[in-house]
Amino acid sequence: MYIPRSILVLIIIVYLLFLTSIDWINEPQGAWFRPFFVGILVVIVAAWSHREQDSDEL
Amino acid sequence: MNYELTTLLVIGGGYLVLLFAVAYFTDKGWVPSKLVNHPIVYVLSLGVFASIWAYYTSIGNALREGYGYLAQSIGISLAFLFSPLLLKPILELTRSHQLSSLADLMAFRYRSPWAGTITTLVILIGVTPLIALQIRAVADTANILASSTNRGSIAFIFCILITLFAILFGTSTQAGRTRHDGLLMAIAFESLVKLIAYLAVGAFAIFGVFGGFEGLNEWLISRQDLVQTLKETDYLSSFHMMTLLFFSASVAMPHMFYVTFNENNTNNNLSAASWGLPLYFLLLSLPVLPILWAGIKADTGLQIEYFPVIIGAAHDFPLFSLVGYLGGLSAASALIIVITLALSNMCLNHIILPIYQPTARNDIYSWLLWHRRVLITTLIWAGYLFHYLYGYRISIEMIGVVAFSASVQFLPGIVSILYWPQGNKKGFLAGLCISFILWIFFIVLPLFYDISTSFLTFNSTYWRELIAISLILNTLTFFIVSLLTKASDEEKSSADLCALDTIQRRKRSGLNAKSPSDFIKSLSKPLGKKTATREVNQALDDLKLEIDDKRPYSMRRLRGKLEANLSGLLGPSFARELIDRYLPYSAVSKHSSSDLNVIENRIESYRSNLSGMATDLDNLRRYHRQILLDLPLGVCSLSYENEVIMWNHSLEDFTHIAASDVVGSQLLDLPEPWLSLISNFLDNNANHSFKSKFQLEDKEKTVNLHKSLIADSGQQDVRNEGIIILIEDITETEILEAGLTHSERLASIGRLAAGVAHEIGNPITGIACLAQTIRDEYQENELNVLAKKIIEQTDRTSNILQSLVNFAHAGSARKSRQQEFVDINNCIQEARMLISLDKKNSDIEYQISCSSDATILGDPQRILQVLVNLINNARDASQPKSTITLNATSEGEHVRITVTDQGIGISQTIRDRIFDPFFTTKEAGEGTGLGLSLVFSIIEDLDGDIDIISPVNKESGRGTSVIVTFPRVSDITQAYEK
Repeated sequence: MYIPRSILVLIIIVYLLFLTSIDWINEPQGAWFRPFFVGILVVIVAAWSHREQDSDEL
Repeated sequence: MNYELTTLLVIGGGYLVLLFAVAYFTDKGWVPSKLVNHPIVYVLSLGVFASIWAYYTSIGNALREGYGYLAQSIGISLAFLFSPLLLKPILELTRSHQLSSLADLMAFRYRSPWAGTITTLVILIGVTPLIALQIRAVADTANILASSTNRGSIAFIFCILITLFAILFGTSTQAGRTRHDGLLMAIAFESLVKLIAYLAVGAFAIFGVFGGFEGLNEWLISRQDLVQTLKETDYLSSFHMMTLLFFSASVAMPHMFYVTFNENNTNNNLSAASWGLPLYFLLLSLPVLPILWAGIKADTGLQIEYFPVIIGAAHDFPLFSLVGYLGGLSAASALIIVITLALSNMCLNHIILPIYQPTARNDIYSWLLWHRRVLITTLIWAGYLFHYLYGYRISIEMIGVVAFSASVQFLPGIVSILYWPQGNKKGFLAGLCISFILWIFFIVLPLFYDISTSFLTFNSTYWRELIAISLILNTLTFFIVSLLTKASDEEKSSADLCALDTIQRRKRSGLNAKSPSDFIKSLSKPLGKKTATREVNQALDDLKLEIDDKRPYSMRRLRGKLEANLSGLLGPSFARELIDRYLPYSAVSKHSSSDLNVIENRIESYRSNLSGMATDLDNLRRYHRQILLDLPLGVCSLSYENEVIMWNHSLEDFTHIAASDVVGSQLLDLPEPWLSLISNFLDNNANHSFKSKFQLEDKEKTVNLHKSLIADSGQQDVRNEGIIILIEDITETEILEAGLTHSERLASIGRLAAGVAHEIGNPITGIACLAQTIRDEYQENELNVLAKKIIEQTDRTSNILQSLVNFAHAGSARKSRQQEFVDINNCIQEARMLISLDKKNSDIEYQISCSSDATILGDPQRILQVLVNLINNARDASQPKSTITLNATSEGEHVRITVTDQGIGISQTIRDRIFDPFFTTKEAGEGTGLGLSLVFSIIEDLDGDIDIISPVNKESGRGTSVIVTFPRVSDITQAYEK
């Protein structure tokens, strides 16, 4: 099965972000909008990983 | 609160009219197509997923589960972030086979109308409460704003307006084929309104209620219980299940399937949505917590879910309540419109059509259109009825759970479509039935019956566990039953088409219908002539084929396209049944080989996705294919059924038949003479045929033919037997060979002539000597006369022999001949003098005109011989008292000598032969036929050229002009340099 390399990178980044950010988000003194920083980061990486796909006609 | 109910109705109605206007203007083409087709419209239209559940229910979820309310956004975002794994392959499938819903996809993959029907029923049961939830939210929020209790009438009016909109803009005769731009634009507009309204209310909560982030933080310090609830990790227990529910809903929910796949017209759209939709949901999730806290601060005692509408009025800013209400209205209306459109298609294709179909006498498009409209109306009003009967007996949260848990039951089936081709119909149906029963008994029914009096021991509050158990049982049953049972060949073929890892082994089979006209004729029986013609023409247009195209390859593609198009119109089950019945394949021979053209097209379209070893293999394939295409021999490859597979460039040039016209057609469709040539050769047992001659455009062509059987590769799955034929055009070679043979024959004649001349010359010399002796001895008597005659005849014979010797030696020892500076003027004068010695035709006048600089390099004796021969011929052809013109001019680098007579000219029929040795038009004994041949040889030796113009006088048709051209040498120094 063909999986674009950029998508594999995205999967790894999302997984690592989830692991590392869960404690940071739940720190008692942390700002309530911390999860949205992580979300923005994921969106940026996703926009990068999907930038050069779909050259084929379906 | 502060608004009149009528005011809210007018505002709500005005908003829906605005929605009508957006859709209408777009459909009319008044909105720039650049905007309509922009990926942002597609991304925003996907925001339809953010229904009342995201808009209102997430507020309650945030209070109960903290960050767990993000599960919806994360679930849908994951599906789009990793779209190449799931959504993109499904998009390819739905596009190729015109599948408009999950039920279509299931029926297509598992080759079972039941798969489609059960899928439709499950979704119908799950989605109807969701429609009711939207109606309830609109009615409730209007009531909160107006402090009214007339919820029924609000819901009623709302349903009427939504029904009208869905019917007007969601149904057309082109259903399943084109994008509904107006509808999509309106849905995108709704998503934008929803987002802006939510962000505005969120901003009001932060800055209007708390006075900014600092104020909010200070308030939160005083409410540590809320912060603790937000950050406690208990929600993680249900978080994964909720994420999974929303992940599967991204494909399985009918409105998402409809917008993601049906209304997507370019690949870029899905790429943009892969990050655009997560961003949209991120923005939509952002205001949830501030709105929740602002609502708690207001302490109105009203339902938490409706805080987006409540907080504005509660904090004396009723405008924000109105904004919140409009956002909720757009969320509800968008979902109802899209979901009922999608469901109407599913119900029509999988519930109505299997029971009864339109007859050929009906206008099928109109029939489908009206049935779709009736279904849309029925579905919206079924939602209204549900709302009316049960709307307030079931919690908002549980309605969402019922709807989204319906979608998760299809997850094993969906994953199997792409990643497990062994999964079969029986496994899918068995797994689905088990989870359906669990879902109905433990999730759906407890909502309507008091569990304390029910036989059910489970409580629906354990829904997460119940969903997990049903999903596990579904997957296990699917897996086990699929392994224990066998799938039909048809289902295997369908599984191969859908799966990502398997090779498509599409067989090449013949069709009974041999032309598009046959297709129309066959389909006229079920569809009527008008519909059949329209559908066949549409499929031909889609494939860019002509109506007179009869190639089997084109017919197979046409059949596939028709099935796909009819699938978009009538659903895959009915379309397949119809196509199989009326356009059947002819008996498939056991030799039916793989359809290489289809395989090749598939690889070409997938090429940029290849990587590593696959790219290398593809490059190797392309290299070998290019070798065959560019081979300077004609290559034609035929399948076992005599279908043309390859027709290379050389063959295109030779036959003037383009490969695109012939590839995929039967050998019998080839034009003459190629059909006879190749057929005869194929019938012949010999593998080689040399020098086969045939007529092509009135010219004789000669070819060598070779053939070789392409042996079976030995793999059972891939049968590529066939024949490869090489066609070698040897017409030019044949002409050269003929020329060579002719030259060889002439050389033999030359050698013979030299021998004969030598052998005859000696006795002739003896005879001449004796005759001279007799002449000298007997001066005065009869013997003297006889001796003179003998001498004349021996002279003549000697001349003939000398000609023969000259001819035999012409061209030989070329280098050894002496090259001198020759003045053509002198040569012409000398030739004229020699000619005048012969008294024959002595009354002919000679006009000589020579330029003084006509000088060349050569052997003067041989040039004299040329001139004497040419002038002799001119004289022989001339009538008494006519004129022969001799011209010699220097023209740049050349000297041009022209000998022109006024004779009868040279006919076209003999013109090509006059330079042949022994060819003469003179009487026997008058000429040897060696003169012009000798002239030609000498001129060629001197690097000259000879041309003949005849007739010179076009009107009278008389006169011949022989033009001889030599390279000019201007002075003696140049001559020596040369």
